[in-house]
Amino acid sequence: MSPAVVQTAALGRRAVVGTLRTPQALVPSLFFPLVLMAIFTGSFGGAPGTIPGFPPVRGFLDFALAGAILQGILIGGTSAGSAFALDIEGGFFDRLVASPVSRTAILTGRILGGVTLAMAQTLLFLAIGVAFGARVEGGVRGVLILLVLAALLAVAVSGLGVILALRTGSAEAVQGTFPLFFALMFFSSAFFPRETMTGWFKVLADLNPISYLVEAMRDQIIETEATSATLIGLGVAVALAALALWAANSAFHRRLEGDR
Amino acid sequence: MAEGRAVETEGLERVFKGGIRAVDGVDLAVERGEVFGFLGPNGAGKSTTVRMLATLLQPTGGRASVAGHDLVGDPAAVRRSIGVALQDAAIDPYMTGRELLHLQAVLHSFSRDAGRRRAVELLARVDLEAAADRRVGTYSGGMRRRLDLALALVHEPEVLFLDEPTTGLDPISRLTLWNEVRRLNGEGTTVFLTTQYLEEADQLAGRVAIIDGGRIVAEGTPAQLKAQVGDPTLTVTLADGSQAQAAEDALRALGELLPCRTGTVALRLPAGAASLPAVVRALDDAGVAVAGLDLAEPTLDDVFVARTGRHLEAEGDDATAAAAPAPA
Repeated sequence: MSPAVVQTAALGRRAVVGTLRTPQALVPSLFFPLVLMAIFTGSFGGAPGTIPGFPPVRGFLDFALAGAILQGILIGGTSAGSAFALDIEGGFFDRLVASPVSRTAILTGRILGGVTLAMAQTLLFLAIGVAFGARVEGGVRGVLILLVLAALLAVAVSGLGVILALRTGSAEAVQGTFPLFFALMFFSSAFFPRETMTGWFKVLADLNPISYLVEAMRDQIIETEATSATLIGLGVAVALAALALWAANSAFHRRLEGDR
Repeated sequence: MAEGRAVETEGLERVFKGGIRAVDGVDLAVERGEVFGFLGPNGAGKSTTVRMLATLLQPTGGRASVAGHDLVGDPAAVRRSIGVALQDAAIDPYMTGRELLHLQAVLHSFSRDAGRRRAVELLARVDLEAAADRRVGTYSGGMRRRLDLALALVHEPEVLFLDEPTTGLDPISRLTLWNEVRRLNGEGTTVFLTTQYLEEADQLAGRVAIIDGGRIVAEGTPAQLKAQVGDPTLTVTLADGSQAQAAEDALRALGELLPCRTGTVALRLPAGAASLPAVVRALDDAGVAVAGLDLAEPTLDDVFVARTGRHLEAEGDDATAAAAPAPA
């Protein structure tokens, strides 16, 4: 195996272990989405199908599950970013840069860690959802597509977190962007279908790429056959991931050249 | 091992945004096998120089090579040849010492098993075996520095950069680290050490360069530098103050007399301790009773004062207050 691959794997493993050992990084990404999901599911009961604009689902949980998964990944992205910023603050980053480590591996290791955590978290949320009576109508195919979407979104948000870390070099600054991720989610179809929205809110949700991602995820849970939402979501996810990787790479090189 | 000096720079320069010349034309020549002390106050340009030599920061002018490899032309070869322990031990609080050493070994292309063995060796070397499987967050400052040093040694580097390795450490931890540096140097590792402590440079470094305002203001062995500033001074405390005149007459031939407190006689002794037998003999011949003898060598601080007009160490030499600013 090429050194860059081995190094990426080693740094990715460290990123995962570090997060698992940091309750303050781990708890929010598990706790908030599940609590919100419980609240929404509790308040809307079992019959969202009667609300105009809602897709025909068996219960609100089936609808809310995708939102929870997406929310967990967004929060995980800020964790990846602030962990990377801590590496910069603490000097671990400098040690890596001064070692004969592939420059790419320094970046991809951190993002790989974020992707691994996002996929594990997606499986966990699906399992919790199923335990409470949700059903993944897409079956194995649906779960696999969900994992691909989770991985791509994790690349995008970890990448964004890493960019913020490289530009600010401060974990506090990265954590300060947390509300932004929340806003991004609330002005999307993460919690309600776009069909129920009106006016400026609908305009924002239509423009928000998060809407298309969550709809593609939801497509796997509530539809037995993938619809066009899956393809659109995959396309948006690939584009966001590619954009984030490119931007993270250029932020990384700017930092290495000392031109901050 | 490539040919060439351990470190060689010519007109090395780093200008930051806003025109701050942190390093302003530094020439250095560090031979293999040396402990080279890079001494200067906070903000003098020490860390910026080391960051450039460790490939962490691009020079904006001049040229430099480390272990025979050009800094800009072949940074990857430089990185394979150096070990780096920068200010503020660069470690991850959520990992154990053993895990960090193993990770560093894997990053240096050790196999998993070889990496494990290397971690065990190094843990023994820096006396961290008992704490090996504890998270680094629970380590004391001295333990962190020792782990940081071990991390820098994973690949047996030719040149070791230590940036203020003992700033903020208690005296015993400082001594432990000094001993380890001596041992490494005894095994053939070149050590490039920055410090703001005179004693550290005096104790460890065979040669010293003093930097101030981004420029080298003095360079040589500690003894040479001190000799440039002046001669050792001998102060004789008399048992009987009324014998001052007799004592001065007896010592006049041995060195220039200096103004001093009553009850004492002070003189410049160019030959230093080598003149002491003659001093004792002369005083004895003249029948002068002596209560004390004090031979004071010039210090590196005197060297710094002579070159810059300021003292090197902050008043009170408060190690914790001297925590250096984060690199820009």
